[in-house]
Amino acid sequence: MMIAAIIVDGPLAPEVEERALAAHSAERAALLRSGSVGATVRFEGIVRRDESDPDHPGVARGLIALDYQTYDPMAQRELECLARSVGVRHGLESVVALHSRGRVGVGEVSFVLEIRSSRRAEAMAAMADFIDRLKRDVPIWKRPVWA
Amino acid sequence: MTVHVLIFGAAASAAGSDRVMVVVGDHPTVDEISAALAEQHPALRFALSAPRLAVNGAFAGRETVVAECDEVALITLVGGG
Repeated sequence: MMIAAIIVDGPLAPEVEERALAAHSAERAALLRSGSVGATVRFEGIVRRDESDPDHPGVARGLIALDYQTYDPMAQRELECLARSVGVRHGLESVVALHSRGRVGVGEVSFVLEIRSSRRAEAMAAMADFIDRLKRDVPIWKRPVWA
Repeated sequence: MTVHVLIFGAAASAAGSDRVMVVVGDHPTVDEISAALAEQHPALRFALSAPRLAVNGAFAGRETVVAECDEVALITLVGGG
């Protein structure tokens, strides 16, 4: 099983993602060539313009960005541990998880999760499992930057 | 002894700081530090309904004993993704 779990400074633009995963590119290509992968599911978390205002519950307020704060090095270690745990539990072929640290503007990507498995059902179930546990177990917090 | 607890996110905003101090007995457990946080820092109570403490960068069990030089962090509900 191939695992890549990386915390990256700033938004996850395509070129940033490519650079972050450069060390894994040969392994990822070999996995696809192997014929064991039948499904790829990809999720991108994108910063929305409207966020609920914690001071006025139920009221949406405009954002310009989210500031992601990580508790290092625990966040990196827990992200990797989560990727491995979900990969084993669902029998996956690969798990790639990238998360931003620092400021990410509205419309930019702050989280990427790409799961590959032999069949679609495992990948879909693993996706939901991973995201639920990410929010509970990986020490990354987001702070709104209001417009 | 005095334990410095690192805090993050909404807890840090509420406290106006990225760390707080709690005074506890010698050789405190994680449970005792959690209780002291609620008692000595009422502003953090909203974040302490299901508190988890990390000791030296790893989640710690409730009975884990904390030493003076350990790094203690309050891991409230996190919100990545």
